[in-house]
Amino acid sequence: MNALRFAGLLVMAMLLLPAHQIQAQEMDHSMHMHHNHAMPMSDSLVWRMAPMDGMTMPMMPGMMDDIPDVGAFLPGFGMDVSMYPEAKPSEIIDMADGDTLHMDASLVRRTIDGREYVMMAYGGMYPGPLIRADRGSKVIVEFTNNIDMPTTVHWHGLRLDNAFDGIPGLTQDPVETGESFTYELKFPDTGMYWYHPHMREDVQQDLGLYGNMLVDPTEEGYYAPVNREVPLILDDILVDANGLFPYGEEAPTHALMGRFGNVMLVNGITDYNLDIQAGDVVRFYLTNVANTRTFNVTFDGARIKVIADDVSKLEREQFVSSVIIAPAERYIVDVYFDEARTYTITNAIQAIDHFRGIFVPEIHQLGTVTASGKASEDYAEAFAEARTNEDTIADIDGFRRYFDKAPDHNLRLTIETKDLHPMTMRMMEVDTLYFPPIEWSEGMPMMNWLSTGDEARWVLLDEDTGKKSMDINWQWEVGDVVKIRVFNDPSSFHPMNHPFHVHGQRFVVTHIDGVENRNMGWKDTTIIPVGSTIDILVDVTNPGKWMAHCHIAEHLHAGMMLGFEVRERGAGPQAGR
Amino acid sequence: MTRTFPLYLGSLALLALAVLVSPIVEAGSSPSEATPECAQVSSPDYYEIDLVTTRKVPGARLAKGKGEVTYAASPFGISVSEEGSYLVNIDVSMSNVRLDEDKQLVAWVTTPQLDQIKALGSLDENLRVTGQTDFNKFLLVITLEPKSKEPGAMWTGPVVSRGMSRSGLMHTMAGHGPFESEPCAVYGY
Repeated sequence: MNALRFAGLLVMAMLLLPAHQIQAQEMDHSMHMHHNHAMPMSDSLVWRMAPMDGMTMPMMPGMMDDIPDVGAFLPGFGMDVSMYPEAKPSEIIDMADGDTLHMDASLVRRTIDGREYVMMAYGGMYPGPLIRADRGSKVIVEFTNNIDMPTTVHWHGLRLDNAFDGIPGLTQDPVETGESFTYELKFPDTGMYWYHPHMREDVQQDLGLYGNMLVDPTEEGYYAPVNREVPLILDDILVDANGLFPYGEEAPTHALMGRFGNVMLVNGITDYNLDIQAGDVVRFYLTNVANTRTFNVTFDGARIKVIADDVSKLEREQFVSSVIIAPAERYIVDVYFDEARTYTITNAIQAIDHFRGIFVPEIHQLGTVTASGKASEDYAEAFAEARTNEDTIADIDGFRRYFDKAPDHNLRLTIETKDLHPMTMRMMEVDTLYFPPIEWSEGMPMMNWLSTGDEARWVLLDEDTGKKSMDINWQWEVGDVVKIRVFNDPSSFHPMNHPFHVHGQRFVVTHIDGVENRNMGWKDTTIIPVGSTIDILVDVTNPGKWMAHCHIAEHLHAGMMLGFEVRERGAGPQAGR
Repeated sequence: MTRTFPLYLGSLALLALAVLVSPIVEAGSSPSEATPECAQVSSPDYYEIDLVTTRKVPGARLAKGKGEVTYAASPFGISVSEEGSYLVNIDVSMSNVRLDEDKQLVAWVTTPQLDQIKALGSLDENLRVTGQTDFNKFLLVITLEPKSKEPGAMWTGPVVSRGMSRSGLMHTMAGHGPFESEPCAVYGY
């Protein structure tokens, strides 16, 4: 039956095409841009063709003149870029308990690869200032919005008081241009965290509104000794010959796959380099702030040891050949650079050429590490040991009895479509032979760009109640241990990986496709590959009204979020213990 | 460059492709039902490999089998190699097989072009074996081998069953349909 339907669709697709369009065309997309899509004018911005880097597929018949069903938008467009202050590199702000930081979001001038852009910055810096504080401390951030859109700040991964989680309409009103909001941050967990807007992240975060928070341990010997500690924020941005590629004005474009960039950024620049001594062990704090790209980070043969993920150390440190990091995840890794040479930091992936049905190896250079001289302190021996973290194990021990409990909630990740471009519908219905677990790169730039959240609605389906996305409002109590089973449905119209983020709480991933996870750490975001079923166990500690969502910016805005409320013990229905 | 597209030929080719892959497409995926007692989840149906008998080996003409695909253990939830290829465990199980005492079944993975072959291992007395691969596309092949011999670099006995990884089902659109511009054999088909 499926075969018949499949064949019918193929035949229909071809019969529906006008004969003169059924031609194999070697297209020059740069030429196409000129006669089909207007260029940006000095006083107005209109759509131009989406960048088609590396695409081998000829332009789809009937799609050549199409543009998304929303207006084109770029903050600061038409203004003289020189009127904006030049952003400066990130600085570390050491904050003691009770300190206050005054920080704004503003439009700035950035130079990337020799080209100037109007972008956004926290505190005038790229990335935003790195807030460094001790575990257990509390600090204040007096935030002022000086960009030309409403915004909020979400303190990703912190188990802070609900009122300061930065969710518009749920925990606070949007901070309008010129207004301020006072956030009180607390840091109960050691590790690397990050902050970003929770309004139009697809624009604001993409344009530079992100920064780290490094929470230092208060215990001696919490981590093994290293020579250097370095934050690495991974990002990408989409540009073409005319500059930054516009965003959707009323809603994000790229709703199907999220907006992949074509320029890789490490700490906001394209030519990142770290000078070290040969023999140094460097602790990298990795954060992925890209809208949708999952990275596979390698260090040119240098040995890598993973020691911690989002919210805690792993139970056991582990040597790996690369670091897979989805949007919003963090990993802390130690890397041993034993030789005096230049090491290339890369994103090494197997992209898919859907046109030819093949895997295509791609290596994106992210930066370099130049090792020379000789390390002043030799930590090679400490590096060689993969430590067992008894504190993490003891912490998780209290939850092991719940690992095999029945799920409290069953979520299915899927998508609903309405009025997508007919050719997009046809192609995607036909091209169903293989969906990869992870979309590592932009495989269909035109179809993806044309889709907005009006046409593609990403859905979190509660299979127990039938409720969808923000109609879901789970009720938990402090002290509950809640198991959520998340299934990424490969039979949906466009299955794709989703980084699933839970606000205000921490969780462990107990099972991946029925296989018990043997090396856990506490997390706030985890990757859900296509076809997979992931069990997460949430340690419910933090009262308030929260949300959980896909951290692909465009999927979030296309509806892929749900709500849950945590009440003080005894104040509501019990889900767990 | 513009070339006229032979519509009916392309349609036929695509129809043929559709029919070829239809049993696997039909296998579909549905989530494992959660029982009230405990969590029961298996490997993703979507990436499971159906092993199809060649019907040529006595005692295994009605053999059934499958390869369940899960990610190799990793702190990242999903496992890939340094080059970005998925690193997966394949749990092979066979049934409906009668073997002579001096014979054994051996599982292999090979690229579709057969230019790289790796032994996953000999199936045990329960007709199961687990191995690992990082091939992007691969065939899972079960062969009948002498029991006295360790699997070498290449199988020597007859093929009992075989199946294609889900990724192996990807086929070129450059060789079919509205974009036909080159023979699909270029890609090994």
